[in-house]
Amino acid sequence: MKIAEFKISRYKNIVLPLGGLILLSFLASKSCKIDFSDFGEGIANGTFFITRMFPPDWAAFPDMLQPTFDTILLALLGTFFGTILSLLIAFFAAANLSNPWVRNITRSLISIERSIPELFILLILITAFGLGAVPAIIAIALGCVGMLGKLLADTIEDIPPTLMDSVASIGANKIQIIAFAVMPEIIPNLISYALFRFEVNIRLSVLLGAIGAGGIGYELETSFSLLEYHRAFSALIIVLVLVFSIERLSSFFRNKLKTAIVLK
Amino acid sequence: MIEVINISKTLPNGKKLLDNISFKVKKGEFVGILGASGAGKTLTLRSLNGLLKPDSGSVVFKNEIGEKVNICTLSNKKLRKVRQKIGVIFQGYHLVQRLSVLENVMIGRLGSISTFRSIFYGFTDAEAHEAMGALEKVNMEHLANNKVSSLSGGEKQRVGIARAIFQKPNLLLADEPISNLDPKNAKLIMKLIKPLSEEIPVIGVFHQPEMTAKYCTRVIAIKEGKIIYDGKPNLSEDQLSEIYGEELSTLALQGK
Repeated sequence: MKIAEFKISRYKNIVLPLGGLILLSFLASKSCKIDFSDFGEGIANGTFFITRMFPPDWAAFPDMLQPTFDTILLALLGTFFGTILSLLIAFFAAANLSNPWVRNITRSLISIERSIPELFILLILITAFGLGAVPAIIAIALGCVGMLGKLLADTIEDIPPTLMDSVASIGANKIQIIAFAVMPEIIPNLISYALFRFEVNIRLSVLLGAIGAGGIGYELETSFSLLEYHRAFSALIIVLVLVFSIERLSSFFRNKLKTAIVLK
Repeated sequence: MIEVINISKTLPNGKKLLDNISFKVKKGEFVGILGASGAGKTLTLRSLNGLLKPDSGSVVFKNEIGEKVNICTLSNKKLRKVRQKIGVIFQGYHLVQRLSVLENVMIGRLGSISTFRSIFYGFTDAEAHEAMGALEKVNMEHLANNKVSSLSGGEKQRVGIARAIFQKPNLLLADEPISNLDPKNAKLIMKLIKPLSEEIPVIGVFHQPEMTAKYCTRVIAIKEGKIIYDGKPNLSEDQLSEIYGEELSTLALQGK
């Protein structure tokens, strides 16, 4: 009896879901008219493509320093303005600073922002500002709000109520409560979130660069479209090194901050 | 002077949290509010500075120029003005952990400096000296530049008292100021609060009848939202068992 039950449960938990998934994928590929022979062809093409990229164009590296710097700067400015914007919005989205209506409306707006891809924001902004760094910085900054706005609002809501009451009891107004109770409490989290977002924004900055914001992404894109594969490979190496080192650097600082957050 | 007149607070489900609470406290009095957990002590205290708005009744506060205001009906702006003159010492986590001891004391004057100045922590040197003076009164001046997060429970409470002293209030409220402290520190805190009651009325919520008997001039006992005793601080065993009911046996177990 026990063994029969065990067999049924295994069937229910493994065979049934797995079989369902396989059936679904099969139906999906049928309806999308996927031809699996394309895969083999694609892999062959890809390998050929990659061999043609070797070796990187070493002479191109010095030319790419400035675009790399531009990409970092785009991400940095976008993160900076985005963090300030998110902080201001978070004050309205935190239950202990805002009234319930304002909080819920602000929270909904933050969620809506989170669901819009930055690429889409940039495309809209390009029609308004034209190509260049300004729409990219705005797109990156707005892109921060969905994530940072929510995280910061949650952090503010976690401040102990006795602390908020204690500063309010002195006769402090909202701005003074923010300056003396909220800001000192959330600063380590704020920096930590901003650093994490900076990592995301570096990748985003490369991507947005490719569709016209400039920087290393633009180099990568133009080299590919001009069929200068060796040059494109150089740009690719720079992107990999850049993204990797920014991630390491940011996680190093965030680990340092973590101890500060725990120790409070 | 503060006078509480018939304040009541009822939950939407009909449960009475506060039921016609009335009392009056004058300068020179150190009033201890006693009662079992959930009796309404802290709610009563919170309504004294407008953190809680009662459904009915009024809390009349007389400021230094003799003007009487009803805290329950004040606009937010006027309430902030009145709160500048009411010092509060809370239990536990009520100081800004990441700021220094001195900065926490200076928060006591936050209500009276402009918003613009406060954004830049723009306290004057004179204010800083005065804040140091307040810290000296509680023997904490040697830790002035330490972060509050590095202090012990007793030290934090002393900073809370220094902040209240620096605030120059006309009324001092204390919400279970000694609840998390060991007996030695609890006595120290009571000894620091006691002399303040000579200048201004002090009202505190306590869980320790032996402490209120020793330091307070008057005890108010609350049970199920009603005042059941208001008088001399020395309570008999019978009175205590009436106030605390079943909780008394726990108190007795703790050697109180």
